[in-house]
Amino acid sequence: MSQWMTLLQKEMLEMWRNFKWIWVPITFILLGVKEPITSYYMPQILDAVGGLPEGAVINIPTPTAAEVLISGLSQYTTLGVLIIVLTTMGIIAAERKSGVAAMILVKPVSFHSFVTAKWAGSMILMWLSFFIGYLSTWYYTGLLFEWIPFSEFFQSFFFYALWLTVILTVTVFFSASLMAPGMSGFISLAVAIIISLVSSTLSNWLEWSPAQLTTYANEILMDKEIPDSTLPASLLAAVCIILLLYFSVFIFRKKELAA
Amino acid sequence: MEELAKYAPILAPILIIQLILFIVAIIDLVRIEKTNGPKWLWALIILFINIIGPILYFVVGRRSN
Repeated sequence: MSQWMTLLQKEMLEMWRNFKWIWVPITFILLGVKEPITSYYMPQILDAVGGLPEGAVINIPTPTAAEVLISGLSQYTTLGVLIIVLTTMGIIAAERKSGVAAMILVKPVSFHSFVTAKWAGSMILMWLSFFIGYLSTWYYTGLLFEWIPFSEFFQSFFFYALWLTVILTVTVFFSASLMAPGMSGFISLAVAIIISLVSSTLSNWLEWSPAQLTTYANEILMDKEIPDSTLPASLLAAVCIILLLYFSVFIFRKKELAA
Repeated sequence: MEELAKYAPILAPILIIQLILFIVAIIDLVRIEKTNGPKWLWALIILFINIIGPILYFVVGRRSN
């Protein structure tokens, strides 16, 4: 256990050194803040941009606070996912390429703790950044529109973060099983997109799909209650995370021993 | 002026955050030994592309080893 903690600390230190602890939260804040502000100032923006014929009247209904939060959240499923994948795709593949992994693994460090410490480090970064970013979305929505109860904010945060964790774990898995960071990033993005596309088109049959967690988080904000299928979906997400981690350790060990 | 005073409390934190990101990127670019691609190009990207520039630098420009 203490060995695992040391590895985690090393991981944290490394993320400090390459400024991930600064730029990932800031990017998430900027992503999250964009939505409430642009929807609040939309009439002014249209005025300033101009180009409308004289006398044209555009009535944009003011969105409700829940709608603003939902569209703010949807930023994280597109650009947020992209940033998560880009920052984690190299964590194992790049270290193996540069030989750092081999240097650590000659010491009596188990493959298991090597991979899970890396995963845990990037998961902490992701959860904290997403929390700060979403908190700023919530704060600005409250400031400019209406305050959403904190419990609903927190529930929707949790289920969204669970889905983002699944994507993160998929990225770690491909990073461990493929040699090239770019390749693993590309495949993880493709997997994330395919899963969410399939589960949103077949949403009636795939109620338990982890990608549906984002839809359920939106429903929590809209209807103020947790949908029934949230429990199986989150359980499946947890199972996916554990299985993917197990297989990434397994494949990584096999590849590293063969090399 | 009155307009500005109305928007300032809302937009100021964002500008500050953006400035932090910009400064961190510049400091890192000055101190780093080698980037992915020519260094002067990254300086231009960070300087002239708002928000996206520094983020792009951190994602693509930094060489991890």
